[in-house]
Amino acid sequence: MKLKVTIDELITDRLRAKGVEFNIGRVIEAWEEDPGPTPMPGIATLRSWDRALLTKYHPFYLPFCDLCCLCTMGKCDLSGGKRGACGIGMAAQQSRIVLLAATMGAATHAGHLRHLLGDLVDRFGRDQTLDLGSSVLLEAPHARLVTGIKPKTLGDLEEIAAYCEEEITQLLSCCHTGQEGDPLDLESKVLHAGMIDHVALEGSDLAQISAYSFPKGDAEAPLVECGPGCLAPGKPVILVIGHNVPPAIAIADEMHERGLDDKIEVCGICCTALDLTRYNARAKIIGALSQQLRFIRSGVADVIVVDEQCIRNDVLQEAMKTGAPLIVTNAKNLQGLPDRTKDDPDGIVRALAEGKEPGAAILDPDKAGEVAVRVAMEIAPIRKATAGLPDRAAILEAAKACTGCFSCMRACPNDREITAAVTAAAEGDLAPLAALYDACIGCDRCGGACPAGLDPHDLIAGAYRSLFPAERYHIRAGRGPIQDTEIRAVGGPIVMGEIPGVVATIGCSNYPGSWNDVGSMAEEFLKRRYIVVTSGCTAISIGMYRNEQGEGLYDLYPGRFDAGGLVNVGSCVSNAHISGAAIKIANIFAKRKLNSNYEEIADYVHHRVGAVGIAWGAMSQKAAAIAAGFWRLGIPVIAGPHGAKYRRMLLGRRDREEDWFVLDARSGERVYAGPVPEHLFTVAETREEAMVLVPKLCMRPNDTVKGRSIKLNHYLDLHRRYFGGMPEDLPLLVRTKSDIPITMKDEVVRFLAAAGWKESDRPIPDPTLLPRIVKRGGKPA
Amino acid sequence: MKAEGMFSDIPVDVGVVYEGERVRKEQMHAEFGGPHVADKYEILEVRPPGEVKDGEITVIGPDIPGIPEGSSLPFGTEITVSGEGLEPDMAAVMERRIHDFSNWIEGYMHLNQRDAIWLRVDKRSVKKGLTFKHIGTVLARLLKSAIPLIGAVEVTFITDPAEVSRRIGRARIVFEERDARTRGMTDEDVGVFFGCTLCQSFAPSHVCVITPQRYANCGAISWIDGQAASRVDPKGPIFEIGKGECIDAGTGEYTGVNAVVKEKSLGNVERVQLYSAFGYPHTSCGCFECTTFFVPECDGLGIVHRDYKGATPAGLSFGAIADSTAGGRQVDGFHGLSFEYMRSPRFLAASGGWRRIVWLPSDLKERMKGIIPPELFDAIATEKDVETVGGLVEFLRAHRHPVVERMKAPEPVAAVENPGTEAPRHPAGSQNTLTIPGGSVSLTLKNVKIHAERMIIRKKPE
Repeated sequence: MKLKVTIDELITDRLRAKGVEFNIGRVIEAWEEDPGPTPMPGIATLRSWDRALLTKYHPFYLPFCDLCCLCTMGKCDLSGGKRGACGIGMAAQQSRIVLLAATMGAATHAGHLRHLLGDLVDRFGRDQTLDLGSSVLLEAPHARLVTGIKPKTLGDLEEIAAYCEEEITQLLSCCHTGQEGDPLDLESKVLHAGMIDHVALEGSDLAQISAYSFPKGDAEAPLVECGPGCLAPGKPVILVIGHNVPPAIAIADEMHERGLDDKIEVCGICCTALDLTRYNARAKIIGALSQQLRFIRSGVADVIVVDEQCIRNDVLQEAMKTGAPLIVTNAKNLQGLPDRTKDDPDGIVRALAEGKEPGAAILDPDKAGEVAVRVAMEIAPIRKATAGLPDRAAILEAAKACTGCFSCMRACPNDREITAAVTAAAEGDLAPLAALYDACIGCDRCGGACPAGLDPHDLIAGAYRSLFPAERYHIRAGRGPIQDTEIRAVGGPIVMGEIPGVVATIGCSNYPGSWNDVGSMAEEFLKRRYIVVTSGCTAISIGMYRNEQGEGLYDLYPGRFDAGGLVNVGSCVSNAHISGAAIKIANIFAKRKLNSNYEEIADYVHHRVGAVGIAWGAMSQKAAAIAAGFWRLGIPVIAGPHGAKYRRMLLGRRDREEDWFVLDARSGERVYAGPVPEHLFTVAETREEAMVLVPKLCMRPNDTVKGRSIKLNHYLDLHRRYFGGMPEDLPLLVRTKSDIPITMKDEVVRFLAAAGWKESDRPIPDPTLLPRIVKRGGKPA
Repeated sequence: MKAEGMFSDIPVDVGVVYEGERVRKEQMHAEFGGPHVADKYEILEVRPPGEVKDGEITVIGPDIPGIPEGSSLPFGTEITVSGEGLEPDMAAVMERRIHDFSNWIEGYMHLNQRDAIWLRVDKRSVKKGLTFKHIGTVLARLLKSAIPLIGAVEVTFITDPAEVSRRIGRARIVFEERDARTRGMTDEDVGVFFGCTLCQSFAPSHVCVITPQRYANCGAISWIDGQAASRVDPKGPIFEIGKGECIDAGTGEYTGVNAVVKEKSLGNVERVQLYSAFGYPHTSCGCFECTTFFVPECDGLGIVHRDYKGATPAGLSFGAIADSTAGGRQVDGFHGLSFEYMRSPRFLAASGGWRRIVWLPSDLKERMKGIIPPELFDAIATEKDVETVGGLVEFLRAHRHPVVERMKAPEPVAAVENPGTEAPRHPAGSQNTLTIPGGSVSLTLKNVKIHAERMIIRKKPE
């Protein structure tokens, strides 16, 4: 809020003033908590916390490339201990690339927030209140914790955005030649980028939930339709792709105003689709971003509208092949199209519907919405797709051109058996091609690599095409934040050992095996009564999974934040609610202050909240930033096989006893707390490996005996199933006999005895890494 | 998958993974108990050593292979245990474990307890050869593994309808005797209380004191549960508290309790009066089922529970009220508690008990029908009666609620034996600052630049 006071005339006994004007830049309402030690931390403010984490979780580098090519002195070979022309070594270079990725990610979300705020302030005004409903009192845990601002209006978010922008500029500058050269300092800045990222995410979702009345922490948010088979045939189809939802919402509003709700199918891919269904449950989700190319090429969409992030760079060329006009709506992704924002809609509609122009940039969401709807209605009856997915005859014919050179397989990021499938097709059997559909991430590198000019991607999608109508699923619309009361309700079951942990399956869909991987992992932990939280493309992929009985998980499991609940928080920006729930726990149960108090809260979360993230198909820089935001709170993340390409892991060394000491806040004593959680960021090669890691990474130093016992029970059970036998680190994880799971007592006792295990005689500590948390009476050693 | 280790002789798997498993109708081989069957029960009893044949599993009536698919049968489970240190009081606690342990068996679903049980067995598990003999073996082994005090376990399943109906009466008598004993037990009847620090993993300075007349805040642990848990795991988070000297029976203050609370809260809390909402109330963790809130305008207490989504007459939701008491603090009038404690005859006795309660959500009031003294029932308002504090005060006057008398008094004083410790202290974060908006606003202007076009200074004439 800004304040301007004008006084025409002020007369006191000593002062007379005329035409006095006071301008106050911003009026801040102080909140009930006094500010903590770190309001709006700069890039080095939380360095000591980061160091505390990074001396426990060591960077383990996986150089994807031995060279640095960032300045004109290079390229420099950094392998074998060599230094670059600027003096940089391999470790710093790898951390620097991670920083670059995380900063790009944070910039993308901060840019998203700024853009969204611009649109929403234009439409609803700066004073539009932020409202998450009566069940969410702690509306902005990240903003409170990091910036010290308790935002009440859209205008308040502008200051939060400005803080993020300042930090991102500073972080990016650290990547310049001749800046930060210490690997751990670079890693500390990675964590800073992650923290900023979550502030930006939270601001974005708060703004859109409030302005558009999305579900507000609603566990019973509606089930919406998902999958290419959910589109009604014969209707014009508008496809939206991206992340920034105002243009998509303008389309839905325009349809409604024109009475076309039942006459047009509006559908989407990726997060714009997720957010659109939070606004309008009739909208449909085609799929995750791996479905992008194949759906565009199917030629079903009559108009394609894109906003920002994760959109194929060749979307215009692909749209042109199908005769569908492309409308770009965001200045960050103009695709070379003319800016027609200020032009008369009639003229734009004519140009697009008559095919005179392949697309248009319309940066006003409302106008973009109007044009998209009008063009869809005009073009649908007359559009002739000039390309589409091949039919059976075309596939059989095309496959004969295959020379069996394996170029397609070599180009495939997942090394799928494409050549054999094409060869089989040449002999009349399309089944192997169709079977690849699930494993294909839709990148089309195979198409570019084929010397015979074939496009195996299209052959695969074409072979599968007859199964499209069966691709109908349900997904629960994104519910937004976790209610404060839900968090209170699960506190008891968690300490009683009834809920073994929280698993957040999030991220992109860059994995072979597509939805079966994340779906089966989610199902495993739902059955085991974990709380499973999801968002973004993974939330969509989970929806497209069917279990052995053919049931969808959203139909089967409730949306509550509770044991066995499947909680879809929403799009990428909704990830802040997952980390936010961990922050809320500290405030709700322990009354730890949030205001500008990052270190203390992260210390609490790291030692107490048994949560773990799985980013199985993480592809983007945004995913790197989101993961880093979890790391700084001390929450471990497991990435899928491709996650190694982020270039480094943060691994604990359970063999180094000295790494696993904490301060007991009751006494100030340094005590051994065991290697829990063992890693902060690790990569799993297979879903089985990931599933065994999850229960282990949910363990925390302060687990009650009941809690540790149930976590060990799941760990041992999954280990037995997927690896066989007892895990060798078991003696480090069992503290006392009471920790031993009762269903395996005999075997565990025998195993421990053979390993020379001794029962700890220490009580479970009140663990911290911060000397200032030690209570009066206790002195840190 | 086939079980290994402890259960390698059982044809199906056993593990916590099956806890959330549901056996749906299409998948079910047979159903035992449930809503369509009148006679069903399960009971666990402690017997003297020598009366229990360890490892003996008996099935009276047909076992699973002999039961036709689609059957719905009356059913009984009788378990007897013996062992050094086991007491009859612990039977109910051990009995409740039957639910968990049954659900850990692949393809065997168990709901509810006592004479409300409902079980289903999955076709796939039947195909693998699962029988009640196996189920009994699993239950016996798990009971011994979980509770080392158990020396011997004997399990009997009854599927013969006539036998179930012949035996169920005795089980019901045992249940009734147990309930009567639990209901009638007072703090004076016992030598020790129990403390629970399970919640310290999240709220490091909170400790719950559990007595026969005061359930834990979470509603999950009674005095009898506390006794069993502390016996089973003497080093665990639930431990015995010697009562020490009784400082004040009315407020429920004991030297033993004060000493333990002081130690376990690291000096944050020095005194606790178990039955008071003011002065030195019992602290609250974060997962309490209900909380009281103080309404100064009528000197009364409202209670709101976690599932109530609306606002209270004070304008605050459960979350906001809960927020002002969580984290192991003592806040006057704001007091986390369990539903079960509300059924205690000593419920907030030192603060007036039910006579001090002025507002409840309507569903909670309905739930407490029969507990709330009948003469008060109509005088306690709900969200259906009033929306504001003003409305509440009017309602209370109109219904002659006992607090009305106090409202008339010039200086409201609590009607207890020890008024000295009763005067509300209203610390920060309590209702004063929460309900009076703009009461004490201070403005800080930073970097103020006042631009005045002209400023004219004129000397005052002498």
